[in-house]
Amino acid sequence: MDIDQARGPDVGASAMADPGVARRSAPTRKRRKSRTGLAFIAPFGALFLLVFVVPILYAAYLSLFQERLVGGTTFAGFANYGKLIQDPQFWDGVARVVRFTLIQVPIMLIFAMAVALALDSMRVHGTRFMRVTIFLPYAVPAIVSTLMWGFLLGIKYGLFGSLNDALGTDINPFAPGTTLISIGVMVTWAFTGFNMLIFYAALKAVPRQLYEAAAIDGANEFQIVRAIKLPALRGSLVVTIIFSIIGTFQMFNEPQILPSMVANSGVTTFYTPNLYAYHLAFTGSQQGYAAALALVMAAITIAVAYAVQIRGLRNATDQ
Amino acid sequence: MRLSRKTRLLSAVLAPMLALTACSGGSGGSGGKTGGGTGGGDEQVKLTVWSWDGTVAEAVAGFQSANPNIKVQVANAGSSQDEYQALDNAIQAGSGVPDLVMFEYFAVPYFAIPGKLADLGEFGVDKLKADYVPASWSDVTVNGKVYALPSDYGPSAMFYNKATFDKAGIDKAPVTWDEYYEDAKKIRALGPDYYIAQDTGDIFFLLSLIWQAGGRPFKVDGTKVHIDFTDPNTTRAVAFWQKLLDEKLLNTKITGWSDDWNRALNDGTLATQTMGGWLTSTLPERAPKASGDFRVALMPQWTQGDKVGAANGGSSFGIPAAAAHKDAAFKFLEYFAHGGGLSSRVDAGAFVPNTTVLDNEAFQSKVNKYFGDQKVGAVLAEATEIVGTGWQYPPFFEWARTIYTDIASPFYTTGKGSLAGILQQWKQRCVQYGNEQGFQVD
Amino acid sequence: MRPTSSRLHTVDNPKKSTTLTVMTGLFTVYCLLPLVWLVINATKSQADFVSSFGLAPGRGFALWDNIVDVFRYQDGIFSRWLLNTVIYVVVGATVSTFLAALGGYALATMDFRGKRTFLFVVLGSISVPGIALAIPQFLLFAQLGVTNTPWAILIPSFINPFGLYLMWVFTAEAVPSGLLDAAKIDGAGEFRTFLQIALPLLAPASVTVLLFSFVSIWNNYFLPLIMLKDPEWYPLTVGINQWNKLGSTAGNGALVQNLVITSALLTIVPLIIAFLSLQRYWRSGLALGAIKG
Repeated sequence: MDIDQARGPDVGASAMADPGVARRSAPTRKRRKSRTGLAFIAPFGALFLLVFVVPILYAAYLSLFQERLVGGTTFAGFANYGKLIQDPQFWDGVARVVRFTLIQVPIMLIFAMAVALALDSMRVHGTRFMRVTIFLPYAVPAIVSTLMWGFLLGIKYGLFGSLNDALGTDINPFAPGTTLISIGVMVTWAFTGFNMLIFYAALKAVPRQLYEAAAIDGANEFQIVRAIKLPALRGSLVVTIIFSIIGTFQMFNEPQILPSMVANSGVTTFYTPNLYAYHLAFTGSQQGYAAALALVMAAITIAVAYAVQIRGLRNATDQ
Repeated sequence: MRLSRKTRLLSAVLAPMLALTACSGGSGGSGGKTGGGTGGGDEQVKLTVWSWDGTVAEAVAGFQSANPNIKVQVANAGSSQDEYQALDNAIQAGSGVPDLVMFEYFAVPYFAIPGKLADLGEFGVDKLKADYVPASWSDVTVNGKVYALPSDYGPSAMFYNKATFDKAGIDKAPVTWDEYYEDAKKIRALGPDYYIAQDTGDIFFLLSLIWQAGGRPFKVDGTKVHIDFTDPNTTRAVAFWQKLLDEKLLNTKITGWSDDWNRALNDGTLATQTMGGWLTSTLPERAPKASGDFRVALMPQWTQGDKVGAANGGSSFGIPAAAAHKDAAFKFLEYFAHGGGLSSRVDAGAFVPNTTVLDNEAFQSKVNKYFGDQKVGAVLAEATEIVGTGWQYPPFFEWARTIYTDIASPFYTTGKGSLAGILQQWKQRCVQYGNEQGFQVD
Repeated sequence: MRPTSSRLHTVDNPKKSTTLTVMTGLFTVYCLLPLVWLVINATKSQADFVSSFGLAPGRGFALWDNIVDVFRYQDGIFSRWLLNTVIYVVVGATVSTFLAALGGYALATMDFRGKRTFLFVVLGSISVPGIALAIPQFLLFAQLGVTNTPWAILIPSFINPFGLYLMWVFTAEAVPSGLLDAAKIDGAGEFRTFLQIALPLLAPASVTVLLFSFVSIWNNYFLPLIMLKDPEWYPLTVGINQWNKLGSTAGNGALVQNLVITSALLTIVPLIIAFLSLQRYWRSGLALGAIKG
């Protein structure tokens, strides 16, 4: 999904703060001095400034210029933005990632949560094995997963072809109408384990005594899940949703690699906004335009993330 | 210079940042290999070469022993577009610019026109001209100046699977495209998986077909580019290929260079590949099971009795204008692309457009076991000599070929529209983009 | 989730459920396919790879040959890439986890001006598609003179916004404020309180963040691709990708899919080992509960 990138640790999915808990403990903590807090956050902040903020400011500056192969760079004011707003290719990509996010993110997070709860319940045989295995796809390098999915979903030499033969069907997972679904299968495969671990770690932090107390009170597993476990996952869920949205909005790897693997899967150079930015900056020498696109895209991402999780964030930061 | 303004501004923003990083202990520069001295005279020169052609490394040892004061480091900085982008970045940043860089022929004008490449005329490159196939020389010449030296070449040839041909009752390679069409039908009749070739919107192939038919759709003069896909020669080539697509004689599911493609070459279900001669060295790895089945022939002709060819791919090496060691770079370039280092590269599988190699008796008479003991060198040497001259790529071809797929894809998936229509749309996009980029395109 | 009573079983050792095992097992199969495919295909020679079905074995067993070839190909540069990657990962993951813990702890336990702005700047920044930032980042790093050096990889890897948020959540969950106040009353400074009281409590969270940092730096591809041009400094991902691209872009590059697959298998092994050796720290959640309760 997202390109493994400067943001070091992958933004591709997952977890964050439990606003509820943070709020609960706020009063005693408010007394702490703000100077210390700033000092604690300073090393991260300084590096963040260097790696992200300054390049973004530079990109913002670049977005005001138009590069030409002949004639050099000229100041263009907000022309790049004006052009972008009217660029159907850009909006095509935006619509696609929004559609994708609306469907894939809930499916992935539900799977992740279900698996985390199942493994945490200790009612599953081979818990340790499954825990590693489900996380594993996240650790498989993109080139390899591409080769692998090329085989799994291939209709001539692949597993899917054998399936088609066996069932007498003629489904092409990489036809223009089905490609996005296949990408969803690939992305879900890669990132469910990652999200599962976040939830799993959050569940592990729940004191076991709570369960014992609940069991003594006669609560069954289902009630424990509803009353104790799901609330404990709320904070992680906020983070996983926000980061998953950011991740899918920046979808890049899959649509970039697909065309070299299968023909005419419907993946265009503007299939996702990030892919479009890549082609503008890297093959089209239109850095200014690509920068404008990136900033507008960030604004859209933030807007969507807010719409989805505005309350979680507010609670977390209002403490 | 246009970048200096940006650079200054950037430095202003960065000064405090630099101080910050210094404090947090992240001082840079350790182990850095940027820049370098001027490297004249007897000084030790460290030459950085960017190449994804592995045969260049073969020439390093010989060169270094003849030139002990030059140390050559050949780095794979990425293939094709990755490398071009890296070069653009390095030039823009003003640091880390390599001394010698590999370019596919179509990429030479992109770098030459904005002045990013050194004019090799300064180094007396014109003396070498006679030793190269004319078409390859025109590939590296932009507006009358030579900016690179050809290092490998892709004369279009037809690689065909004789075993599949035999199965279909075809007793010889098609000499004309009309015969090719008849053969396509026979191969198609072998079974649902059998096709004479694949096409999923391969622009390089389509252009080589047009090239051979005599079409010259791109005319570049300075910053003026004229694009025309409607001349009779172009139209004839396009209409022919359209006919094969319409009659479903081509596999439109398997894309070149994919894993499926390797497998289809391997099991003989793709009967021919009309492609650059460089396929010779990589075909045996892709289709090991088909060893002994493949043969090479000249491209089928448009008119019986003609002998005209085209090129598909190939590459060259140029020296960035911002390179630190231009003299040493040219010395090495001349060595591996023309002089003493050439033979070691040819032995390693490079197919070069040097007449000294192509006309060589040993090269022409060497039999190739994979190709059923055929004298492949002789066929490819002939294919090289007959390449039509005067072909040009527009300076923004890298961009153009990327978006071609966007335009072509709907036709290949739905069958609606036509190749001629695609090319027309492609032209419109090129005109728009080219003019935005400061060229005069029509 | 099947409601079952646990009359004979304790909370920590409940009755195993077959339904649940099968359901989770199905998902595991979906996740396991890569490894199965990878292992099978790492045993094939290049010739076998292109001519045999993906899940069927090849004619010969070439795993050992492939491993030897991986370490020999291009003058054995693979070992150099492996070493680079280990350095990037160990340094990057350690520093980034520490910085994330420090920051996340401050966000969760302290109140200071600009906190809200800070959080929004971080979230806003990581919402900018990274691709478009790559060129500005490259130019900036070139100004600093660190392109083509390990610093170009390390400095960005020190930042883990996701880890920061995760540490924030986990601190809020796991570190009781009473304990911190007690430490302060005892005269411990803020930093010492963090190091000696909070950090041990945050072990499970730190390990989770460390693991994610570890994997993401291990798989980091695009930034090294832009920043580095000297193969001596490449991490594994860039190196393996180049091997793959030799054969998958038009031209006469070498086709070495067998080496690509085998090297990928070799690079996953350390990740599995890291995962297995780190996961035992998750158990400390139990100890934590005791303090909290």
